[in-house]
Amino acid sequence: MLTSLSYREKTLYASLAAELVVYGPYFFLHQQNSVNKVAGMIIAIIVLQIILQSVIAALTRNRITDERDRLIELRGYRAGYLALASLMVIGLSMLWFHAAVGHLRLDSRMVGLHFLSVFFGMLVVADITKTATQIVAYRKAV
Amino acid sequence: MPAIRNQIRELRALREMTQQELADQVGVTRQTVIAIEQDKYSPSLETAFKVAIALGVPLEQCFEYDSRGKR
Repeated sequence: MLTSLSYREKTLYASLAAELVVYGPYFFLHQQNSVNKVAGMIIAIIVLQIILQSVIAALTRNRITDERDRLIELRGYRAGYLALASLMVIGLSMLWFHAAVGHLRLDSRMVGLHFLSVFFGMLVVADITKTATQIVAYRKAV
Repeated sequence: MPAIRNQIRELRALREMTQQELADQVGVTRQTVIAIEQDKYSPSLETAFKVAIALGVPLEQCFEYDSRGKR
């Protein structure tokens, strides 16, 4: 199967795998979030991406990209932006709601961490949406 | 039915040209040639001309437009 994939497609699968491995615990393991943890994940994703992309580049002879790759990339960014904008509205509404009903005290020291968690989560979901949209577009051959 | 259809597969078979050879001549990936042949992707005008040149036929022999087709 790997030989039938283009260079761009292989890099997308690697990106998605890296994103799920690094960000998965953030969403599915209910641990205490912290600034250090978010920073650690950002460093981990960068390192993992560099390693995976280097391996794929080394193993792929034909690394050309063409107009279809660029079109699919744009579609991915559009989907990612729509996801980010939608989540931003939902996230801010939820923060406002929780503050309004008293679940969240905006003057507390923890509020910065709440905002960081929410915005980081939005970025992660938008990034995964972008990558997944591109993979689906490749699979549909569009 | 797609709006732009093509005869690339037939023309390529006549010349005993592989998808990879055509892709290399046109400057696209083999996956893009496959997508064009299956009418799942309509190439840009520039790529369409390059395909026609690589196959040695006029553009209209390679691609045809159906105004009733889906865009």
